Amino acid sequence: MKLILTGLLAGLLAATAARADEMVFTSWGGTTQEAQTKSWAAPFEASSGIKVLQDGPTDYGKLKAMVDAKNVTWDVVDVEMDFAIKAAKDGLLEPIDFTVVPKADLDPRFSNDHAVGSFYYSFVLAWNKGAVSGEPASWADMFDTKKFPGKRTFYKWSAPGVIEIALLADGVPADKLYPLDLDRAFKKLDTIKSDIVWWGGGAESQQLVASGEAAFGQLWNGRVFALQQDGTDVGVSWNQNLTAADVLVVPKGAKNKDNAMKFLATATSPTGQAKFAEASGYAPINTKAKGEMPAEVVKGLPDAHVDGQINLDMNYWAEHRDEIATRWYAWQTK
Amino acid sequence: MQGNSSRRGSVASLAAGSGSALPALLLVGLFFIVPVVALLLRSVTDPEPGLQNYAALFGSGTYVRVFLNTFLVAAVVTAVTILVAFPVAWMLAIMPPAFGSVVFGIIILSMWTNLLTRTYAWMVLLQRTGVINRTLMGLGIIQEPLPLINNLTGVTIGMVYIMLPFMILPLVGTLRAIDPMTLRAAALCGASPFQAFRRILLPLSLPGIAAGGLMVFVMSLGYFVTPALLGGTSNMMLAEMIAQTVRSLLNWGLGSAAAFVLLVITMALYALQLRLVGARRTGGGA
Repeated sequence: MKLILTGLLAGLLAATAARADEMVFTSWGGTTQEAQTKSWAAPFEASSGIKVLQDGPTDYGKLKAMVDAKNVTWDVVDVEMDFAIKAAKDGLLEPIDFTVVPKADLDPRFSNDHAVGSFYYSFVLAWNKGAVSGEPASWADMFDTKKFPGKRTFYKWSAPGVIEIALLADGVPADKLYPLDLDRAFKKLDTIKSDIVWWGGGAESQQLVASGEAAFGQLWNGRVFALQQDGTDVGVSWNQNLTAADVLVVPKGAKNKDNAMKFLATATSPTGQAKFAEASGYAPINTKAKGEMPAEVVKGLPDAHVDGQINLDMNYWAEHRDEIATRWYAWQTK
Repeated sequence: MQGNSSRRGSVASLAAGSGSALPALLLVGLFFIVPVVALLLRSVTDPEPGLQNYAALFGSGTYVRVFLNTFLVAAVVTAVTILVAFPVAWMLAIMPPAFGSVVFGIIILSMWTNLLTRTYAWMVLLQRTGVINRTLMGLGIIQEPLPLINNLTGVTIGMVYIMLPFMILPLVGTLRAIDPMTLRAAALCGASPFQAFRRILLPLSLPGIAAGGLMVFVMSLGYFVTPALLGGTSNMMLAEMIAQTVRSLLNWGLGSAAAFVLLVITMALYALQLRLVGARRTGGGA
């Protein structure tokens, strides 16, 4: 009896999860996922007849738990690139099927065997013009509490970005950032620790800056773009902007793997990338995409600001992720 | 023989009684005991069998600090909640019932509103550019905004507000059961109002304070949303730390160990409470 029941249940689950005509896309919510839905999922549904269910936010712990439990309900997940490199090493990801996903035009910086680029972005210095007197021009200004008093905001979690910013502000040349000198970075961060308000998600960073609660800080350029689109008077400095990328991955054992690969083809296509860039202000990872975009939009993208641009080293982070995180949380909770 | 049969009778009635409790027991077993056992197993098997997760937990200054901080926050919240709840509960207990039920309704109503919404409302009120700071600065009472958020103050305010009903409800029960004549008798015997409170009202209401206090303390220990939104990282609480460990470090073993230790401590506290207060409570109305 029990056996029959279990069998029935398993059958039911399999039937509901692996329907040929749907798949689940998971991303970070907010304005970014809205743009992804509009630019990728909607046209993909129309052309393929495969329904794309949206889920989120991305949660690495959940992703691992799904793979461990062999019950993977996410088919395509938007993750940070350093995580993708590590997750591939840990065997959490399916290899990308490049017979389905055209590889030729993808920016090689942001694609590998287990991930294709989603978009790339820059951390920029943004400030609320109504609440800050003067114009902060460099990361060093964010550590100058005399010149720029008040609260400033940084990304809360251990991830590429803040450590590098602290080192740059402390005078480390861009080409000498890696390997990261953590002692030096934390010492520099100590000098403004009590003035930092941490943001845990993109929407929070927007709210903090727009309300003037923390009038300036380190933001994702797309979130600044969205604020400006909304008519908020926000200034932005691209000086030493730090690029990183989100990538799309397929968790190991995803139930709709074939659909997932087809979706990746649409998402990384020149058109999909161009539309997304236009909607989000993030840069395309398909080198042909710019040809399909209005010149006005291209001007506002991170790759229009390559002067002094610094690429955060995803491979270094993938390798030292846990070690840096341990130090990070120990420092943060002190 | 006779004794034996009567005992059998009581066993039978016990069995009948537990029969009706079966659905509840099943629910608890399925949705509480099973996950907790799974948690325990995970903490000693992930990534490999052994106690390495517990060693890492107690060996890590970060976790120990976060544990201590969690208890500190819970204690502060409990203390403040008791102080705020007592006068309200007393007022409710001596109010005319018609009035009382209106006030009661207001208190209960707050529990029906979404937790996240209520916490965000506090953010709007407490932040530097928020209503409270703007008003105080507008009135010229302060020059610089008060730091009411992203620190212990913010967490305490937000959590006390959420915990109040859990303190008020058991307290009202206890206070209503106290005969008002005892206070009048104290006054007639020459006790000052403070003496009457200190020597009559407070001891008699202790079971209610203990019951509510424990509930608030235990709930506070595991709180996530409010400390995450209203607190700063230097008073991060355990729930948020566990979430980080699992989400970002993918360390389910360590996260499970931390959660299990918190559970054991909480249960130990509960057992202690039962021993200290349980006996005295038998006659109480709460």
